[in-house]
Amino acid sequence: MKHRVLAPIVGILCFLGAWELLVQLNDVRPFVLRAPSRVVDNLFSYPGTYAEAAWVTLQHAYFGAALGLAGALLLAAPMAASRFVEHAVHPVLTLVQVTPFVAYIASVVLWLGPGTRPAVFIVGLVCLPAFAFAAVDGMRSADPAARELLASVDASRWEVLWRLRLPSALPSLFTSARYNVGLALIAAYLVEGGNYANEGLGAIGKKAALFPSTRDAADALWAAIFAMAILGTVTLLVLSVAQRALMRWHVSQRPQLR
Amino acid sequence: MSAIELRQVSKAYGDLAVIDALDLSVEGGSFVSIIGPSGCGKTTLLRVLAGLEPATSGQLSVDNRPPEEARRRKRVAMVPQQPGLLPWRTVRANARLLLDVNRAANPVDALTPELLLAEVGLGDFGAMYPHELSGGMAQRVALVRALALHSPLLVMDEPFAALDEITRSEMRHLLNRLVEGKAVTVLFVTHSITEAVALSDRVLVTSARPAQVVADITIDLPRPRSVDVEDDPRFFELCADVRHALHRGNGTTATGGGA
Repeated sequence: MKHRVLAPIVGILCFLGAWELLVQLNDVRPFVLRAPSRVVDNLFSYPGTYAEAAWVTLQHAYFGAALGLAGALLLAAPMAASRFVEHAVHPVLTLVQVTPFVAYIASVVLWLGPGTRPAVFIVGLVCLPAFAFAAVDGMRSADPAARELLASVDASRWEVLWRLRLPSALPSLFTSARYNVGLALIAAYLVEGGNYANEGLGAIGKKAALFPSTRDAADALWAAIFAMAILGTVTLLVLSVAQRALMRWHVSQRPQLR
Repeated sequence: MSAIELRQVSKAYGDLAVIDALDLSVEGGSFVSIIGPSGCGKTTLLRVLAGLEPATSGQLSVDNRPPEEARRRKRVAMVPQQPGLLPWRTVRANARLLLDVNRAANPVDALTPELLLAEVGLGDFGAMYPHELSGGMAQRVALVRALALHSPLLVMDEPFAALDEITRSEMRHLLNRLVEGKAVTVLFVTHSITEAVALSDRVLVTSARPAQVVADITIDLPRPRSVDVEDDPRFFELCADVRHALHRGNGTTATGGGA
């Protein structure tokens, strides 16, 4: 248990140390790579600014992911129940998954207006395919003996979904959530760079990128990147805690034999 | 009134006849075992009786109703071969599962799962999860889950097949204790001659597919049956009867088959 806390900290400190050394020894230009010490220094010089921006980005990512999850569950229930629906919806989801969303951010902003709405929408759209595929797989994996049993007392479709299929999908949903954390944050960051709201870490990054040669801009850009990394790490931690709470019954959450 | 009545019931999947013109009448409150070779259609028969699939032809009634209606009214309780416990539900919550769905059809005299759990020796295990249970304990929870419905018909599909010999023997005596003197009719599919004789009032021996009853053996061992019943000379005679009938049944179809 001890090394589960200690080992990641050691790993990250070594990584940051090597980075610091590389920058200090080779005198790398600030916009190419900033020394971690300077980035941290900058973060703590303007804590309010970055915290405020991070809070906005966090909301975009979380509300968007929640929207994507809700949409995925709505699609997955009929997909798991009918092969026809699955085969019809699957290619559409694949299209969403492989199309570069960056390319249509501007269109969505035109459609939904500046600010929060396009950010939440695009994050939702980006998270939708992985959540939907995972939910369908998970719902299909429901124990056949339990399905038969529920059928033998004429449980309704809704009851089977709620009591059996949805809990069966939890493990795969958590796996896809870990994958979607990065996608959701990156999508939020990129939309914030183009939604004319001047809010969020993405807006800070975008502004900095407009003046790449100045030291302040380099500081701001790298501080935004660090803040994004912190958001991602915290989110993964939250997911782990939620998973432990909701899935105590699952093999993956029990002590492993080595 | 018979609890189960089948007249000329057939079930086929395409050209494959699984049950062929089966006649069967089971008296209410009796314990009837069906024993026969693997893949002879016993599970299909249980599924048809439980209203999970329709018969291809013939007439059947369960609890004086068509099976589909009996299913909607929760009149048939199933104990499957695998316990089928939901891993995210505690023992207590698993025992309640069948009462938690289709509640409108719950009988007014549904039994309290907690009391039944205590009766099968799991009173202190209510808060545990299925992965913390042994195979025998898990199957006892499955038994409680079915009994809690208090339905007139209990349908069991080789429920003890996956258990070790010692646990199986404990389970047969537990089951005898639970159903003896109650109004419940039990239809029990098994591969074990000992199990069939120890538990039943009647043993039906079936042939290989399509399923036909080749022998109907009355088990006249006294009730209530204790563990000692398996030392009774009559017990051995009856086991031998069932074994001979099984061999005869298979021999008949081996030579008479080919259709």
